[in-house]
Amino acid sequence: MNPANYILLSALLFSIGAIGVLVRRNAIIVFMSVELMLNSANLAFVAFARMNGNLDGQVVAFFVMVVAAAEVVVGLAIIVTIFRTRRSASIDEPNLLKY
Amino acid sequence: MTEILPAEGVFSLLWVLIALPAAGALILLLGGRRTNTWGPYLGILTVVGSAVIAVLMLLAMMAEPAEQRTVIQNVYDWVFVGSFQVSFALQLDQLSIVFVLLITLVGALIFIYSLGYMAHDPDRRKFFAYLNLFVAAMLLLVLANNYLLLYVGWEGVGLASYLLIGFWQRKPTAAAAAKKAFVINRVGDVGLSVAIMLIFVTFGSVTFQDVFGQVGEANEGTLTAIGLLLLLAAAGKSAQFPLQAWLLDAMEGPTPVSALIHAATMVTAGVYLIARSNAIYNAATWAATAVVVVGLITIFMGAIIGSAKDDIKKSLAGSTMSQIGYMVFAAGLGPIGYVFAIFHLLTHGVFKAGLFLGAGSVMHGMNDGVNMRRYGALKGVMVITFITFMAGYLAIIGIPPFSGFWSKDEIIHAAFERNSIIGAAAILAAGITGFYMTRMVAMTFFGKKRWEDDVHPHESPKVMTIPLIILAIGSTFMGMALLFWGNIEYWLEPVVGYESVPTPLPTWVYIVVTLVVVIIGAIIGWVTYARKDVPIEAPRGNLLTRAARQDLYGDAINDVLVVEPTYKSAHALTTFDNKAVDGFVTWTASFVGDLSKRLRRSQTGFARSYALSMVGGAIILLVALILVRLS
Amino acid sequence: MNFTPPAIDYFALSPMIVIFAAAIVSVLVEAFAPRTIRRFLQLLIVFGALLTSAVLIVLNAGTRTVTGGGAVVIDGPALVMMGTIVVLSILGAALMAERSIDPVGDSFAARASSLPGSEDERQLTQRGYLQTEIWPLTLFAVLGMLLFVTANNLLLMFVALEIISLPLYLMTGMARRRRLLSQEASLKYFLLGVFASAFYLYGAALVYGYSGSIFFPEIAQSLTSKPSESIVVFIGMGMLIIGPLFKIGAVPFHQWVPDVYQGAPTAVVGFMAATVKVAAFGALLRILYVAFGGVRWDWDPLIWIVAVASMILGSIVALLQTDIKRLLGYSWIAQAGFILVGLAAASPAGLESTMFYVIAYGFATVGTFAVISMVRDANGEATNLAAWAGIGRKSPLVASALSLFLLGLAGIPLTSGFVSKFAVFVAAIEAGATWLVIIGVIASLIAAFFYVRIVVIMFFAEPTEQTASVVVPSAFTTISLSAGVAVTLILGIFPQPVLDMLSNAGLFLR
Repeated sequence: MNPANYILLSALLFSIGAIGVLVRRNAIIVFMSVELMLNSANLAFVAFARMNGNLDGQVVAFFVMVVAAAEVVVGLAIIVTIFRTRRSASIDEPNLLKY
Repeated sequence: MTEILPAEGVFSLLWVLIALPAAGALILLLGGRRTNTWGPYLGILTVVGSAVIAVLMLLAMMAEPAEQRTVIQNVYDWVFVGSFQVSFALQLDQLSIVFVLLITLVGALIFIYSLGYMAHDPDRRKFFAYLNLFVAAMLLLVLANNYLLLYVGWEGVGLASYLLIGFWQRKPTAAAAAKKAFVINRVGDVGLSVAIMLIFVTFGSVTFQDVFGQVGEANEGTLTAIGLLLLLAAAGKSAQFPLQAWLLDAMEGPTPVSALIHAATMVTAGVYLIARSNAIYNAATWAATAVVVVGLITIFMGAIIGSAKDDIKKSLAGSTMSQIGYMVFAAGLGPIGYVFAIFHLLTHGVFKAGLFLGAGSVMHGMNDGVNMRRYGALKGVMVITFITFMAGYLAIIGIPPFSGFWSKDEIIHAAFERNSIIGAAAILAAGITGFYMTRMVAMTFFGKKRWEDDVHPHESPKVMTIPLIILAIGSTFMGMALLFWGNIEYWLEPVVGYESVPTPLPTWVYIVVTLVVVIIGAIIGWVTYARKDVPIEAPRGNLLTRAARQDLYGDAINDVLVVEPTYKSAHALTTFDNKAVDGFVTWTASFVGDLSKRLRRSQTGFARSYALSMVGGAIILLVALILVRLS
Repeated sequence: MNFTPPAIDYFALSPMIVIFAAAIVSVLVEAFAPRTIRRFLQLLIVFGALLTSAVLIVLNAGTRTVTGGGAVVIDGPALVMMGTIVVLSILGAALMAERSIDPVGDSFAARASSLPGSEDERQLTQRGYLQTEIWPLTLFAVLGMLLFVTANNLLLMFVALEIISLPLYLMTGMARRRRLLSQEASLKYFLLGVFASAFYLYGAALVYGYSGSIFFPEIAQSLTSKPSESIVVFIGMGMLIIGPLFKIGAVPFHQWVPDVYQGAPTAVVGFMAATVKVAAFGALLRILYVAFGGVRWDWDPLIWIVAVASMILGSIVALLQTDIKRLLGYSWIAQAGFILVGLAAASPAGLESTMFYVIAYGFATVGTFAVISMVRDANGEATNLAAWAGIGRKSPLVASALSLFLLGLAGIPLTSGFVSKFAVFVAAIEAGATWLVIIGVIASLIAAFFYVRIVVIMFFAEPTEQTASVVVPSAFTTISLSAGVAVTLILGIFPQPVLDMLSNAGLFLR
């Protein structure tokens, strides 16, 4: 199968992720959408690694997974704190800081 | 050809000129209350010290031949980055020495006067610290050998002026006036900073020697742009049209400040800038013409405002605008005018300082009242103030042999050398000067007593009258001294150039016509304000008077043109930033399709709207990138 | 394929290794050391590591090498940026170490996880429970910044970006007072930050796909050798620089800045405002000058747009702000625009002036936030400008120091801000972007309004009942404040040694 299709798929996933961030209200889902964007980048890296014939892209993908895991830890900590304070995981609710 | 000499002998003290008052300011500011008792005296001492050094330098300079009077002292290398090199270097030549003398000598007198004037002010120490700061910055301005260092002094005097206008912070009007002066001056400063960058890019250097040496190689369009930007800067600092509005409000500061900064020295920095940049204006005729026009407009605006104000200081401020207008006007005339612009600047510095200090002395005796309609018949009560004020009066309206006559007459003559119409305008303005100054003198010293009940006028103490007397002597003889003994035009010629072209009529005709016009103006003033009773309540006045009382609507125009749009756009942008969804939805509609409708319906959450603006911004940037790539 | 372990120049990497080791130890101290000596140990570790790292950077002054298998490059600009980051971190850490200002203790929540206003929180406060977990986070953030400016490939840069960000997200949410604001700022910073990272990463993927390498010099090579019809690589580049641009706070990636400035603990803002900007500009410079230096004409317009938008929006929106921290947030946006003007010059002068600007800005910023942390009323820090009226009469020295910083940020002569602004603008004019400079000068005119407005409020307004008082701090804040004053003045009056250092630092190693 043509590796370019994987690139297209990754672009699609990236867009879905970006739109998810924009339209979803639940902080967890927003966060998951970001993760989707990161993983779409991973897919692109791996596909490009295949097309370019070197391993750099695959190495990157591993690193990104680790980083994403760390991000989840920090992110969930923040989201849970907000949830406990406000009894809601909506990211529209905290809007004291504005103008 | 002018030689440039290293600073040796007495000239090696060049940096001390600036360092002395700067050190004074530092000690007074950091010393705090401990210096309250002796601080003011230290302040005076530092300025007197600078004055003594300046006089020694003048003597040393006079001993040298005319080509060997330019001295440069490199204090240290300030900024050297790549091709951009600026030294902290001072330059003393015939032009800067006269400024140094004006600043230090008149400055010293005003410092001494302030000792009496500010005697009871609890913040007297701070006042002297700011004055010292001003003197240091002003000296830096006129001694700099490059535009960037000049800019430092330029901002420094602006800061000192700002602090001193707002010195009586308890008065909200003073704080507002300070802010206004700062803001309007910043507009001028933008002109100067852009001009400096343009100069650097055009000539590859910002020192005066390099720039003026290469003027011939630059194209005229660039030079015109530089000239106009420098004019903008000069207009801001020297209260010229259209940036004149701040000077009248600046009178909220203590009177010695008005005398030193807003009459004698700082406001003339614009004239200095134009005269210093003469090589640029000589090559950029359009810019020079603009200078003439700005000067001429301001001469009349200032004179009209001066005729209508009842506040003695504001009336004098109008007169300052008008007189500086004369200088700017003369500087715009080119080599026939530069020397006389400086000549008038010097005589004006002395007689206007005398007039302001005289006004301060009157206010001192009148419980700080400034309304001339509540003055009258003071000539018997304040004899010394009266006599010295009269010397300044005769000097400013230009009666021979007082100093103003010589300098103003030369400017009018130079104007006729160029063009008879602008010459005639200059004569007419001289007539208005005669009118408003007579009005001021008549309302203050002649006529009937119109004092308020609890006011008991008295002569000021010696510490104030002695500077007045010295300035009055200067107002009387300085013009003659500079012209006949000092040969001012040939003294300055190596720096600013001088030439004279024949006029259509013999010289004495212009002198006589000018004098007649001035005397007519003075008589009208006398008849209106000394022979008739002056009403205590100002009459409504005609349209022009009312306009002039509003500073010819300078503020209103500023509001409409600058202040309102700024605030409006600030409001608009704040709204935009917060409701970015609404704004960006329309922009990104074609990219995210029907997303817009759902977003419009959905509750606006700020974190998400931020994300949307990021996406929108990213898309715009990427599209721009692709467009650039394809084009 | 044979695997050869990469040669590693440990000495060149030692400034980072020290910080990394210290961060690990710091975590262990947090876990195992008894509470009574924890603060002492942490301060010892943090300041010891930062100072050691600073010394090692100085010892490395002549190092110009690419190491770690080509992933890390230690060159002149990198060393300058590293040194700046470490010194600013010391000053920022000093602000965080301050315990004399707040009557309760320090400015961080006793336990970040406890509910705001809960019984738990009240008890912890009553018992004087103070936490020290801010320190390992600080060290990790510093490590990230050092890596960010030395990263020579897209992967390390991404990892570094995350190492900077993750601790900062947490530190943002740790304020002792106004915890709702703090948590909200943290959430927004986090979500938008990872969003920006995702863009960076996808851009990196596209650039990798085009050039076949993640190393900057090879990317540069591929751009010149391959026929560059491909739009993909430029889309990749555009997405790539969103990462640093977000950290810089440039429009349109700026909206988190004012929120975070307002919500985060003041000491943390002082730390990150100064250091992160240095790091982000270091990274942005490296991406654009090294990897994409050959296609300058393609990215220049993009930087122009961002610079103009940042300068204008930042300056104008700041005009009407009433909260000083928020105002400084918008001012950061405007300043980012000014620095981008120098970056757009894409010349050695542009590089030098940009570095000078971030150094000058960093020190002035640390000092500014030191002052803000000292101005307090009954509810903690008094950030509303109304409470600043007449502070100049009550505490002239502190108010004068703040005025110096603000005038420096406004670019008044004889302060560092003037030299830096001038250098940046001259670099841009030399590169032919005169119109950009004119917009810059106008924007700095507008910016001068709001900086001076604070000075006016402090000195010319009458003190009211609302007027806050200035608390006398311990040596920590005093040192930061004094260092800020000294550097702001020295860089204004004698900038030459620093300018010499920058020009000796030379260009990026390719």
